[in-house]
Amino acid sequence: MAATRTGSRACEIFTTLEYGPVPESHACALAWLDTQDRHLGHYVNGRWLKPEHRSSVPCQDPITGENLASCLQAQTEDVAGAVEAARTSLENWSTQPGAFRAQHLTRLAKMIQKHQRLLWTLESLVTGRAIREVRDRDVPLAQQLLQHHAVQAHTQEEALAGWEPLGVIGLILPPTFCFLEMMWRICPALAVGCTVVVLVPPASPTPLLVAQLAGELGQFPGILNVISGPASLGPVLASQPGVQKVAFCGAIEGGLRLLIQESVWDETMRRLQARMGRLRGGRGLDGAVDMGARGAAAHDLAQRYVHEAQSQGAQVFQAGSMPPDSPFFPPSLISDLPPASPCTQAEVPWPLVVASPFRTAKEALAVANWTPRGGSASVWSERLGQALELAYGLQMGTVWINAHGLRDPAVPTGGCKESGSSWHGGPDGLYEYLRPSGTPTCLPYLSENLNYDTFGLAVPSTLPAGPETGLSPAPPYGLFVGGRFQAPGARSSRPIRDSQGNLHGYVAEGGAKDIRGAVEAAHQAAPGWVGQLPGARAALLWALAAALQRRESTLVSRLERHGVELKVAKAEVELSVRRLRAWGARVQTQGCTLQVAGLKGPVLQLQEPLGVLAIVCPEEWPLLAFVSLLAPALAHGNTVVLVPSGACPIPALEVCQDMATLLPGGLVNVVTGDRDHLTRCLALHQDIQALWYFGSAQGSQFVEWASAGNLKPVWVNRGCPRAWDQDAEGAGPELGLRAARTKALWLPMGD
Amino acid sequence: MSAHQRGTELDLSWISKIQVNQPAVLRRAEQIQARRPVKKEWQAAWLLKAVTFIDLTTLSGDDTSSNIQRLCYKAKYPIREDLLKALNMHDKGITTAAVCVYPARVCDAVKALKAAGCDIPVASVATGFPAGQTHLKTRLEEIRLAVEDGASEIDVVINRTLVLTGQWEGSDFIKTSTGKETVNATFPVAIVMLRAIRDFFWKTGNKVGFKPAGGIRSAKDSLAWLSLIKEELGDEWLKPELFRIGASTLLTDIERQIYHHVTGRYAAYHDLPMS
Repeated sequence: MAATRTGSRACEIFTTLEYGPVPESHACALAWLDTQDRHLGHYVNGRWLKPEHRSSVPCQDPITGENLASCLQAQTEDVAGAVEAARTSLENWSTQPGAFRAQHLTRLAKMIQKHQRLLWTLESLVTGRAIREVRDRDVPLAQQLLQHHAVQAHTQEEALAGWEPLGVIGLILPPTFCFLEMMWRICPALAVGCTVVVLVPPASPTPLLVAQLAGELGQFPGILNVISGPASLGPVLASQPGVQKVAFCGAIEGGLRLLIQESVWDETMRRLQARMGRLRGGRGLDGAVDMGARGAAAHDLAQRYVHEAQSQGAQVFQAGSMPPDSPFFPPSLISDLPPASPCTQAEVPWPLVVASPFRTAKEALAVANWTPRGGSASVWSERLGQALELAYGLQMGTVWINAHGLRDPAVPTGGCKESGSSWHGGPDGLYEYLRPSGTPTCLPYLSENLNYDTFGLAVPSTLPAGPETGLSPAPPYGLFVGGRFQAPGARSSRPIRDSQGNLHGYVAEGGAKDIRGAVEAAHQAAPGWVGQLPGARAALLWALAAALQRRESTLVSRLERHGVELKVAKAEVELSVRRLRAWGARVQTQGCTLQVAGLKGPVLQLQEPLGVLAIVCPEEWPLLAFVSLLAPALAHGNTVVLVPSGACPIPALEVCQDMATLLPGGLVNVVTGDRDHLTRCLALHQDIQALWYFGSAQGSQFVEWASAGNLKPVWVNRGCPRAWDQDAEGAGPELGLRAARTKALWLPMGD
Repeated sequence: MSAHQRGTELDLSWISKIQVNQPAVLRRAEQIQARRPVKKEWQAAWLLKAVTFIDLTTLSGDDTSSNIQRLCYKAKYPIREDLLKALNMHDKGITTAAVCVYPARVCDAVKALKAAGCDIPVASVATGFPAGQTHLKTRLEEIRLAVEDGASEIDVVINRTLVLTGQWEGSDFIKTSTGKETVNATFPVAIVMLRAIRDFFWKTGNKVGFKPAGGIRSAKDSLAWLSLIKEELGDEWLKPELFRIGASTLLTDIERQIYHHVTGRYAAYHDLPMS
């Protein structure tokens, strides 16, 4: 009998009442690796690919260092093959009825359910994460994601009429990630009819397993293809013809920053330390641990941070029951970090928490927003009013009140600032993989010749250009900044010619300093405009519409000077008035409340302005495009810096005269000048929250490249013209989606 | 039970300041049950420990001296001797923490335990159990009589009329409920009570005991309760002076689990002595 062997052990445990190991068998994960002879390739088009003459990297148990399998590294042609498979299956998949795709996703959810033990043991084995995290959270959520998106697919024809799938999606995953991050992105993509190629870092078997499960459903094998390879293949994937979008996922959550009000500092730290003391760490496959390990690299990163913090005089509290050796690292609470120390600026690594005190809620908000990141945050307070005030003020994609880390497929999750501007889950997650029907498929245009260093750098000199023949009265001269017309910093002007080539007039030549001034003015106006009630915003837009109507005859004659027929010019003014009214009316219908399974209480889905939005208007439709872009931006609470049409900026300047009297100063700023130069200044400005560019393909390429500096969301047309006079393209929901960001505010309730 | 509380000034502001984040409590309750499984020899040892926390209870209208006697015998020999021997635990004096009966049966219990030759305390519910809606005078008299009969622990039903009108009482031990309610010992409620015990300890240094009662029937439940105490209050609360489980059928299931651990087979009911 087993008992005699364990008798003395039982005595000991009876006295100490310690916890014992609860090992989860990972035999099935090993058996699955054995089916591939411990040699993993890529999963493309429903079958395993193991091309020859490729290097391979070992997949190791992060805790024991034991070699579990070897993983092939893809090369360019493997990526091309996977994209080809995705392109081929796209035709079939995207044309299926939504209800049919819904069924397929449901089948995949069931497939995952049937093999969940394999999935969770494999994931825990290779990542070292605690099994309870994977088993109790990730795997059920993966199934919910599939089911939620199956429902979305089912109602697609009805709910998403006017939108079509983008096409082949490339997804690039970072070295440390959990397979759930992949699910958040592939589920909406597949649901709306896109097909996916996922590039996973070497030695990540779980995505391959998910792809195999999807492939074994039989039909549509090529909709999900997974290849493993180095990060250097990312650009290769992005530049494959046919790849319409590349989604990139950052590393999974790191450590945390904790702001504690001084009045409750001692009490909170005491409770925190008591709770940390009860955390158990250990091998991820142990069913009774709270924390696993994330490999030697994560351990070293944490170790370095702690040493650095200690050397700067910080207090470090470590507790919990942890195996003493690498790669395990105890949960650590760091306090008294001097505000100016490099550690305060650096990202906190897992599993560290840096606590710092604050005096007032206002100060807490300022500190919390003083970071380039904007993913998620939680507010803990018994004062609901104050908690809500903070939650609204936090520049984050997700805010939880008195809770942390809740997720649901129906709630859009995203971020702002450098945490990225894409969305997963909810309706917003679907739009990431859709485009308005009929939009031309612009193939990625990448010019090798574009010199990023010199694009738009120099401003051509402008000289007196003959007698002015403009209409009188001429609009006021200058840049419209801060609510009034100002002389440009460069003190020079550019001639505007009419359709006959005659000089129409001069407009100010704006430059870097003027852009700086305009952005500053826009920032100053922002709090006031955000604070306006939707009704007040709508009223102002309508007042502007009325002013435009009064100015109709001037505007029409200005347009006529530029070769627009009288009838067309009248229609353009009339349509511009309609656009302002329409967006004014839409202001009122923003935000909604979601109800989430398992959560008592609502999740508020708020529409928040992006901040300062810079818009480079197209050359065509000088008035209509200007108004069509301005109206949604203002309606959603943004403040704006606009560059009007280069050839015909005068109608926009006419509108500025009305804005000067109607709108608060700084709300709208219009800078004329050399478009390339102004585009350069805007794209390289770090304190602009979004940039829309309608111009040349080269300009679009530059904007995308330069805006990567602060990861601001950009919207470029890649040189493709837009039908501004059509409602779908000139006033469609796409503009609204681009002009605002969603914030999910979780309000768990209970008494 | 432990020495009586030294007592402390009643400060009602402590109570009015208490705030409960119910969704968080519910999540915590779920976590503790999911994250602290105990298996193999740890499970056996923990279950034997759980036995020592049990207030083996019979609170039926038809209790007589014969079933009280059987209960007391079971309290003294909660696990079959050969099973304990196999675990080398037969000489640890494992008994339940107490037997718990109605006041009128205290005499029977004291006599039976004396006959069995053991010093397991007799606990009596009192004061108009389970509603507590009798006069203070009769309730006090009930306690006095039970103590006279030999009860060394009294489970008092507090006057809930006073509680609901904000007039609180203090105690050495707090119990989740009488065990006779429709909902009795639940994890979320227990977490709130345990946090209150912890706060009181932090403020005054006094340790108040805790007794969940009602609905704890399976060995698995009892393990979860032990983890809960360990997680929320720490090992120092895991002793009969500060932690009891009020239960009647729990012991049978624990014995069955021990049987399985020792023999590798599941026991039929008749394999184990009746309680």
